[in-house]
Amino acid sequence: MAHTHHDHAHKADNYFLPAGTWTSGRNAFAFVALAGWLGVAAGFLTDRKEFFPAYLVAFLFFLSIGIGATFYVMVQHLTGSAWSVTVRRLMESLMRSMPVFVVLFIPLAFGIHELYHWSHAEAAKDPILSQKLSYLNDKWFLIRNFGVLLILSFFATRLWSHTRKQDESGSLQHTFAAEKWSAPGVIVLFLGGSVLAFDLIMSLDPHWFSTMFGVIFLTGGALAFMATLIIACLGLRRSGYLTHTINEEHYHDLGKWLFALTVFWAYTSFSQYMLIWYGNLPEEILWFEHRLEGSWLWVSVLLVAGHFVVPFFALMPRAMKRKRGVLAFFAGWLLLMHFVDLYWQVMPVFHPHGFAFSWINLAAMAAVGGSMGLVFWSGFREKPLIPVGDPRLSKALAFHNV
Amino acid sequence: MATLDRILDRLPLPGFLKPAVTGAHYGVIGDFDTPEDLLRAIRTARTAGYTKLEAYTPFPIHGIDEALGEGRSPLGKIVIVCGLTGLTLAVLLQWWTGAVDYPLVIAGKPLFAFEPSVPIMFELSVLLSAFGAVLGMLALNKLPQYYHPAFNFTKWAGATNDRFLLAIEATDPKFDAAEAVAFLDAAGSRHSELVEA
Repeated sequence: MAHTHHDHAHKADNYFLPAGTWTSGRNAFAFVALAGWLGVAAGFLTDRKEFFPAYLVAFLFFLSIGIGATFYVMVQHLTGSAWSVTVRRLMESLMRSMPVFVVLFIPLAFGIHELYHWSHAEAAKDPILSQKLSYLNDKWFLIRNFGVLLILSFFATRLWSHTRKQDESGSLQHTFAAEKWSAPGVIVLFLGGSVLAFDLIMSLDPHWFSTMFGVIFLTGGALAFMATLIIACLGLRRSGYLTHTINEEHYHDLGKWLFALTVFWAYTSFSQYMLIWYGNLPEEILWFEHRLEGSWLWVSVLLVAGHFVVPFFALMPRAMKRKRGVLAFFAGWLLLMHFVDLYWQVMPVFHPHGFAFSWINLAAMAAVGGSMGLVFWSGFREKPLIPVGDPRLSKALAFHNV
Repeated sequence: MATLDRILDRLPLPGFLKPAVTGAHYGVIGDFDTPEDLLRAIRTARTAGYTKLEAYTPFPIHGIDEALGEGRSPLGKIVIVCGLTGLTLAVLLQWWTGAVDYPLVIAGKPLFAFEPSVPIMFELSVLLSAFGAVLGMLALNKLPQYYHPAFNFTKWAGATNDRFLLAIEATDPKFDAAEAVAFLDAAGSRHSELVEA
């Protein structure tokens, strides 16, 4: 669009947050985190049975957003994407929180016996579980999960360091380096993400198995990440930042991603469900049987309607993806649905007769989310909100959908 | 050859139909140096009250649809109607063949169930959507079309290389050949002429 091309050149945004704004943002995240950790401590002391599953759901929710962010940053580098440069620093800041999850995993390491019944002595007597114990045992569980989290953190840190150096130098060398890290990174991310999904969620019900499980976890994470990114962009916009840099065309593309990932989540989740329904084998079908019992049935119905049918038809028209209010609503809604999805995967193991929400869930979400938010926010202290040194930035600013 | 042309003219084959042009002239075409000149000329022409405008350019130009006052293509609506038709057909097909016309219990499964029907529902929705998208696009563009009167413009070849053409069509209510030539010349055209239909 020739005329807007010129408009962009004249209307420049301020890419730096003033110290006051940054401090109040930091204080907000710190307050949420502090209140959350106090709640988590209270939950741990009062109700350990409820605490560990609640913490696991919160951990998985934010970890999946971090993994989704890492995946998207890598994909932007691998495809040499220009349109996304204006939103990439926000992606990278979410990605940068990956090392936090190595630390946040520690409480779970102490919860293995509360969470996973393959760690109990009876498992050795179970004819099926006894066969799986060479994989499912405390030592290897910790090595695998800490290992995967450390490796993903390493890739995230490499990519972050290159984009940050490029801010100052503007050198194309950092773009090439990021591309080089991204290629093996994507492979490691998919394998590692599957390991996390198998170990942390699937092994809650260790008799059951599904090869689709890793993909579903990563897809849910990618969707939750996209929703978070949209909310972050719109939040900054509301406060008057990046109003020209991230324009209607960029929101349209983020909306397309939100739509596409909603479809892909349904595709993977339904593939798992349909094959198990058709096979009709007792050891496979039981997992879904538990989730159709009591009030869990309504949670399952909510997932089908709220995680797919409604957002699918609502986000389909072009106009809906270009309306910021609509986009903000569905980003928030899909984040909630991602929480419901993980809750629905984890909780029936501990509350087989029906859905029972606990305040500890909220405390754990605040604790993990606040901690991740602090790291996300810390990157903007006296530092730009977009990759100012990226050679493709001018192309991204002039981006226009056909 | 002349006989063949005459036969083809009478056959209602889509690709051999000439575009509907009233009168002996297609309109007036002007020849511009740059996309910016073309966009400026389009805006001036619209301000002057011309409504039947068409641009011919060697590559897509951002903003030209808006400048020409083109609305959104109805293709999306065609596709969703086709997609929903495919979805409905898939349900009817599986329900009728499986549960009505030839009921046969296989592996203890219900005669008709939602779960195994979804892949076919998905596939038929996609198939009919794709048909709707491709055929709808061809129909909306009036393709295939082997002849177009704009080809009669003496500098037509430039539209596939480095020139940017603007036509004021003869169907425009405000159309007057001499006035339109003068108008395009004044708007910066290097060469403007009346083009035969």
